[in-house]
Amino acid sequence: MAPKTNGIGVQVEDMKICVVMVGLPARGKSYIAQKAQRYLKWLSIPAKTFNVGNYRRTDAPQPSADFFDTNNPEGERKRRAAAEAAVADMLQWFKSGEGVVAILDATNSTKERRKWVLDKVKSEGIEVIFVESKCDDEELIMANIRDVKTTSPDYKGQDPEKAAVDFRDRIRNYEKVYKSINEDGDEDDLTYLKIMNVGKQVIINRIRDYLQSRIVYYLMNLHIRPRSVWLSRHGESMLNIEGRIGGDAGLSHRGEEYAGKLPDLVLESVGSNRPLTVWTSTLKRTIATARHLPKHYNQLQWKALDELDAGVCDGMTYQEIADMYPEDFQARDEDKYNYRYRGGESYRDVVIRLEPIIMELERSEDILIISHQAVIRCIYAYFMQKTQEESPWVPVPLHTLMKLTPRAYGTEVQTFKANIKAVSTWRGKGSTAKHEDPAPDGGV
Amino acid sequence: MDTLLTAEIAANAPRYRRKSSTFIDGIHDVSQDANNMAPAQLYSTMSGRLFHSGRIAIVMVGLPARGKTHICVSMARYLQWLGVKTRIFHLGDYRRATVGEGVEVPQDYFYPNASPASVMLRQKILKRCREDIYGWLNHENGQVAIYDAVNPTASGRLALAKEFAKHDVQTLFIESFVDDDEILKENARNVKISSPDFHGMDPDEAAQRYLQRIQTKIPVFETMEEKGLNYVKMKNAGEQFFYNNVSFNYLSHRIVFYLTNLHIKARTTFFVRAGTATEEDSYKADAPLSEEGRAYAEKVAETLLKHREEERQAAIANGAPDHPLRPLSIWTSTRLRTIQTAEPLQKLGYKVRQRSQMSQINPGVCEKLSERAIRSLYPEEVEKHELDPYHHRYPRAESYHDLAVRLEPIILELEREQNDLLIIAHESVLRVLYAYLMHCSTRDIPKLKFPRDEIIEIIPAAYQNEAKRVHIPGLDPKFIPSSPEDIRIPVPGSPSGPSSPIPGLGSPGEPCELVVLSRPPEKVINKAKEMVADKVADED
Repeated sequence: MAPKTNGIGVQVEDMKICVVMVGLPARGKSYIAQKAQRYLKWLSIPAKTFNVGNYRRTDAPQPSADFFDTNNPEGERKRRAAAEAAVADMLQWFKSGEGVVAILDATNSTKERRKWVLDKVKSEGIEVIFVESKCDDEELIMANIRDVKTTSPDYKGQDPEKAAVDFRDRIRNYEKVYKSINEDGDEDDLTYLKIMNVGKQVIINRIRDYLQSRIVYYLMNLHIRPRSVWLSRHGESMLNIEGRIGGDAGLSHRGEEYAGKLPDLVLESVGSNRPLTVWTSTLKRTIATARHLPKHYNQLQWKALDELDAGVCDGMTYQEIADMYPEDFQARDEDKYNYRYRGGESYRDVVIRLEPIIMELERSEDILIISHQAVIRCIYAYFMQKTQEESPWVPVPLHTLMKLTPRAYGTEVQTFKANIKAVSTWRGKGSTAKHEDPAPDGGV
Repeated sequence: MDTLLTAEIAANAPRYRRKSSTFIDGIHDVSQDANNMAPAQLYSTMSGRLFHSGRIAIVMVGLPARGKTHICVSMARYLQWLGVKTRIFHLGDYRRATVGEGVEVPQDYFYPNASPASVMLRQKILKRCREDIYGWLNHENGQVAIYDAVNPTASGRLALAKEFAKHDVQTLFIESFVDDDEILKENARNVKISSPDFHGMDPDEAAQRYLQRIQTKIPVFETMEEKGLNYVKMKNAGEQFFYNNVSFNYLSHRIVFYLTNLHIKARTTFFVRAGTATEEDSYKADAPLSEEGRAYAEKVAETLLKHREEERQAAIANGAPDHPLRPLSIWTSTRLRTIQTAEPLQKLGYKVRQRSQMSQINPGVCEKLSERAIRSLYPEEVEKHELDPYHHRYPRAESYHDLAVRLEPIILELEREQNDLLIIAHESVLRVLYAYLMHCSTRDIPKLKFPRDEIIEIIPAAYQNEAKRVHIPGLDPKFIPSSPEDIRIPVPGSPSGPSSPIPGLGSPGEPCELVVLSRPPEKVINKAKEMVADKVADED
């Protein structure tokens, strides 16, 4: 989707979009913005978030609630300046030619402010879509406040109780002037998405192009209820021991041991008895790994979670591949993300087939995924915003459970080791070793 | 279930007697082959259902002339393309089968205070339709049943959702709500053409009369506001959507995504092959057009523009208002020969967009290999290919299935496009896009033929799409048949006669037909037309 020119100098993709967030504080705007950016980048669409709060913080690092009072001229001036600086930088990013989707993360809670942004961005030939998160559910708002006050740089190092009170006062100041999009019926011409009560109701107005509809589709799948995603590879397989890739082998003795210990490991990391939904691939080794999990966990098998298809190299060792297909072996190391095995898949292909999984994952609550090295790398890259250069090299050791918890300002990772020995299947660039220890940074 | 009745429906309902033809949209065909995978199916399952979604009933809501049938047919086309087992149940088919062809239902059929006889008739028709839905979901592994009816009252809808829930079926309502007079009139104009009642009447007046008739016939219609139901309200053909999401699942979201790109305004899609290039044999070279290719591009532009104007004049003669032509957008791939084929039109001011997803199928290792070389180098692959030409992938190459999956975003954009659209692309891409619009089976897709001397025109109608071929006169016959531009992937011959496994190379068994220089545009005769004549005026 990136803008490209061909031999006769025509732009392939000239569409540029500015996503303008709208909504009171603690409605999950930054969370949505951050997610959308990550998703687009994962799909190779250049995207960047411009957070007005970050611009304001350079001028007013930790302001109190009255800074946000509309009757405070000093606060008003500084906030306006921050918005102007953010928009200016954003337009500059578009002009530099690298930008396709920018996300302007701010409250934009008045009609006047929205009109100002719209005029400014439209005059540069960039399409605008407003995305509003509207929420009246007190419980959800409070959960968000708790989350924000512990993670927002505005309250870093402050007493959490005081921070919560101050933050609620700040929201009250915004509420005084807040107008939901088209509340008065005179913003009907805007392209907008309004998500009410975390997707219970949604309004989509005047979507003008495909990329907009795609962003809308993604955002409709998001929710802000707290949850985690657990990732694990299957237990060590017979082919792992031999250093062979792919195949559909059963578990090794140690792999079986991991399957037996997994329920305890999961229980320890969940910290309660609440049930998870378990997704496995359709291959024997993941199904076997999941089979001792509690009966009240729902289990689903996904074809899309099957391991990267190594085509003609399926079932070979790296040494065999290097001997039989030396050019391919080298080509793969040069651009592992894009390299497609003969008759098989590339990491890019895997990302494309995982898209429905990501959508479903976003919609769902607690999920445990038991899958394979390349697939877990791609899912991990989505949550941790790894680049295409990094993601195919990320170490994902066997017999280890990862817990990913999405937060407003990023994803938290916790690792739980089963302490059951297993071979390493990580491979460094150029190496043909059967088993080698992963480099700390994945070797990139 | 009443077997006699089923037989009666089978005899009367058009979907049961539709016969496949690649020139008639196969959307209402019932597949004979249970193992036939859909074009862009993500994975195959034993049951034929996606295992991460349950069974869904999509219930249409809206008065006649709101584009409901168009929406459900399009939705079914898309879902089937994605590999979801979907079937449409038009309540009208059951009404016709029950009361008889051409027989009117009682005047008070839709009245809230209808007579007991009318109520009973209504109940009987509804029951039969629903029994068919359950039969299909329970015994034929159906996943999505689309129930096409007016469903005008809130109480009726609540009862329906409850009943479906009892059968373990999730319900998603889709309402098409229109309060824009222009859209209503346009829809009514399209509908009334088939009705003899309005023969010879001024089109605007006929439309007005038709809309009034709906109002008298169905006096009560409540727009959806039921908080406890899953519904999508589509306002004025996609201007605004309102979603009430109680428990959307993966498929509901997917449908919603599709609907945001769908509109119900009429527009036509044209397909044209790219001209021949100077380096025909190379996939990687991306060569410019040859001299003949340039001459061809001029011919395409001339023929297309002439045809569009003729169609407009014909429509006016038929009573359509004297509107200017709809704008025409042009999509090409990013490959030079397609871009350059669009140049004559671009010079005339038509807007051309290049789509990277539309590049031709990747031939992988087969590039620059002769058929003989492929056969001797990859005998096993050739064997596999001949068994399943749609899904088989040569080393490093793309299969048609890969191509279809890659083209899925284009399908959605195609639906979004409001202008008439000309697609200039490689034959492999045209095959897959054509297959979506005309709902061809995967066995036919690799064999579809798009000779250069024809512009394919696809006209959407509420009930199904129609394809038409427009002849481009005055081309060198050598230039016309599937050219060596095709990638050299063998395609098994049709059962009717010997043909080259490689269409690109032509075959001695397949002599080039001499082309009549001025052939009139050939209209595909749509035999199903009579059968569906009153379908579009449905008031159920």
